[in-house]
Amino acid sequence: MTWQGKLLHIHIAPAASYEMEELAQAQLVAGRGIVGDRYYLGTGTYSARPDVREVTLIEAEVLDAIAQGEPRIPGFKAKLAPEDHRRNITTRSVPLSHLVGKRFRVGETILRAARMNVPCKYIEELLGLPGLYEGLLNRSGLNCTIEVGGVIRPGDLILPIDE
Amino acid sequence: MASPRIIMKLTVTAVRKEPGDVLIIDLKHPRKPLLPPFEAGSHVDVHLPEGKVRQYSLCGDPTELGRYTIAVKRESDGRGGSAWIHETVAAGSTLPISAPRNHFALKPGEGPILLLAGGIGITPILAMARALTRQAKPFHLHYFTRSRALTPLLPAIESDLPVGNVQLHFDDEPATREDIAALLANRLADAQTYYCGPPGFMAAVGRAAEHWPEGTVHFETFQPAGLDGAPPEPFIIELREGRVVEVSAQTTALAALRAAGVPLLASCENGVCGTCECGMLGGQPIHRDSILSKDARGHRFIACVSRATGVLKLDL
Repeated sequence: MTWQGKLLHIHIAPAASYEMEELAQAQLVAGRGIVGDRYYLGTGTYSARPDVREVTLIEAEVLDAIAQGEPRIPGFKAKLAPEDHRRNITTRSVPLSHLVGKRFRVGETILRAARMNVPCKYIEELLGLPGLYEGLLNRSGLNCTIEVGGVIRPGDLILPIDE
Repeated sequence: MASPRIIMKLTVTAVRKEPGDVLIIDLKHPRKPLLPPFEAGSHVDVHLPEGKVRQYSLCGDPTELGRYTIAVKRESDGRGGSAWIHETVAAGSTLPISAPRNHFALKPGEGPILLLAGGIGITPILAMARALTRQAKPFHLHYFTRSRALTPLLPAIESDLPVGNVQLHFDDEPATREDIAALLANRLADAQTYYCGPPGFMAAVGRAAEHWPEGTVHFETFQPAGLDGAPPEPFIIELREGRVVEVSAQTTALAALRAAGVPLLASCENGVCGTCECGMLGGQPIHRDSILSKDARGHRFIACVSRATGVLKLDL
């Protein structure tokens, strides 16, 4: 095993633009999303173009670096709470960008990392944080499909399946 | 394009009936002690079932961010939003509310300020009067209603504003009546005026202020300005890249643009909120919105209600 990470936070929102709400546990449904989330309900900003947004993850390490700004993130600094970034799952010690195309475990569930997330200008306007779009480029997380559903909770282990 | 706003599921902490069939609603965030800040004149979008969105001014104190206060007049011949709120919302309810936006901000300056409110149009004007009182700036508030018994928010006005700055005008008390044209006839040096109220009041103030210079008269209406009566005609939108989108007589520019894959946010779809505002590069628009200033009408376009003759070039 090359790495082992942890699930820190789970957040969902009922529809586009709604504030994210933290969950103590969440039900993942294979091929659909997180019960109650906008991409499960079909009410998300990008729901008209369903792709691989069943679950989206982001690294706490990215948030730490953005909070510090220079020299870790040139030209941008912002305090971004886990409820602000609008990804569903905040991870620690998971090399998300290494996982594109691979399966991995989150607690009892299995996700397949479909593609790297691309940030949108929309979130920058929504949060009133100019520069956030550039600040998140190439580090805004991972869009995943759910291969095996189940219940996940903060503290769950995240483990690789495909090396 | 106006920027999107975060939507919060706020908790109703109190509701209170006021004269004039007005419901005062206090809201707080279920988890956070402070709500997003706002300036006097701001409004929020209230999201109702079936995708309806209504705008209400924040009439509370901008320095008290623990809560938002809105005042909802029941419009029995309206589109159903206010009736739903009156019948359904109670202490403990959850209401989805957007972060505030402001199309009716007080402009900087030290000149005297004339605030004119008709009926429920008092809501943004009251927030302005509170802000001006705190800043010790010179202002006069004239509040026009049908009768004292039907006047909402009187206790708040009488307790929170200096007596000498407020004049109440009741249609059924001749001694209190005031002629709007006379109020606006002589503009003091550097004066600005702000007004909000029902359509007849808006038209009267608009006429009376015609001789005021551009940029000194500010208003907000949450009632659509009214269609010009002419039946809609088809027209053509040309996008920046040259692509052409046809708008039939039966659809709106907004719907046609969306169908053509042009992403455009919208909220009220009624020409009052400005969310779908976009740049206009040329053509003959038929503006049917209630928000663009005279100046903006030359280069901006509100796609949910406005139309055009012939080919309209949009900056999209």
